[in-house]
Amino acid sequence: MNILTACQAIQEARGHAILIATMGAMVAFDKLNAGQPRLNSVPLMGGSASLGMGLALAHPDRIIIVVDGDASLLMQLGALVTVMGKSPGNFHHFLISNGTQFSGLSNLPLPGRQIDYCALAAAAGYPITHRIQDEKNLTMRIEDILSSHGPSFTDLIIEPDPPIFGPNSPQQDWSDHQFTRMGDEARQLATWLASRGAA
Amino acid sequence: MLQNKFNIPAGAYISALQRNRVDYVVTVPDWVQLALHCQLQAGVEGIELVQCCNEDQAVCVAAGLSIGGKNPVLIVQNQGIYGCVNSIRALGLDAQQPLVFMVGQFGREFSNFGKSPNLSRRNTVRYLEPVLDALDVRHWCLEDESDLPKIDQAFSYAQRTSRPTALIVGAPTGWL
Repeated sequence: MNILTACQAIQEARGHAILIATMGAMVAFDKLNAGQPRLNSVPLMGGSASLGMGLALAHPDRIIIVVDGDASLLMQLGALVTVMGKSPGNFHHFLISNGTQFSGLSNLPLPGRQIDYCALAAAAGYPITHRIQDEKNLTMRIEDILSSHGPSFTDLIIEPDPPIFGPNSPQQDWSDHQFTRMGDEARQLATWLASRGAA
Repeated sequence: MLQNKFNIPAGAYISALQRNRVDYVVTVPDWVQLALHCQLQAGVEGIELVQCCNEDQAVCVAAGLSIGGKNPVLIVQNQGIYGCVNSIRALGLDAQQPLVFMVGQFGREFSNFGKSPNLSRRNTVRYLEPVLDALDVRHWCLEDESDLPKIDQAFSYAQRTSRPTALIVGAPTGWL
């Protein structure tokens, strides 16, 4: 399963759930034109689970979908425990598990090998964990996952996209959008939520 | 003397938080604000406590609450601010969330109370205000009860400007 097919399955099942993504998942959801209610943790690796938890507490009536990255989660592994401190039932945590940093860009390896993220989540107290290796299974199970009483944690085994950077294709400058979009999205999401009077 | 004028009572802080309609306290515990923590832990009407494993997570949780329409305050210590600079940059400054921090001056010499923290012998204490200044985070020092109105100023400023602010708690909060 690649990141785009995994995110597509989530997007198709998402309905009006609030979507919090980071890194490669953010790019995939951009390609899928995922709209409101949506927020990305960018540029901020490791922030998505805790951001999602804050939103889950503020809006217990709404489903929160966090699509994290493995390198990002490793930066804030304690966030699994922080989430379980409140154990929001509307919180569903997906992990893009591709074993790489700068995935699809340079595919640098993570410091660890064969990390059992479901075991980590379960040890932190997540009552529901899944490991899904292929698109067919994800498509089949996603609605059950999102309708379950969470927090749930789903480790998605993803084949990294081939790296694009190299001697003949070096890095290009970032657009300002990468550094302003989180603020824009936060304002848009706050407005979207306030207009529905749920806060 | 067990307590003196520098020990602003925890109850006075609670009143100020309620006056400013705080509904969530997001925290990594602070030695300086232990009396306040204990009151919050015992339960304060209208204020829910969210404990986090580190200050990066606290900033993110508070930002999520804020985007969701809630009015959180963060209670951390000076070392916590040093630890979560990038999260403050991302969510307080780039994403313009009105995050209000109450920051305990952990390690401040009791002999320094009532004097400038710049005179402290300890980096942990002395660097707090310069770090906040470098981040362009406006801050107010709480040294005795006459400073309590600064709490209202900090909340008002944060909401008006959509910027993070910090209230520096200079001495242990009072237990009485």
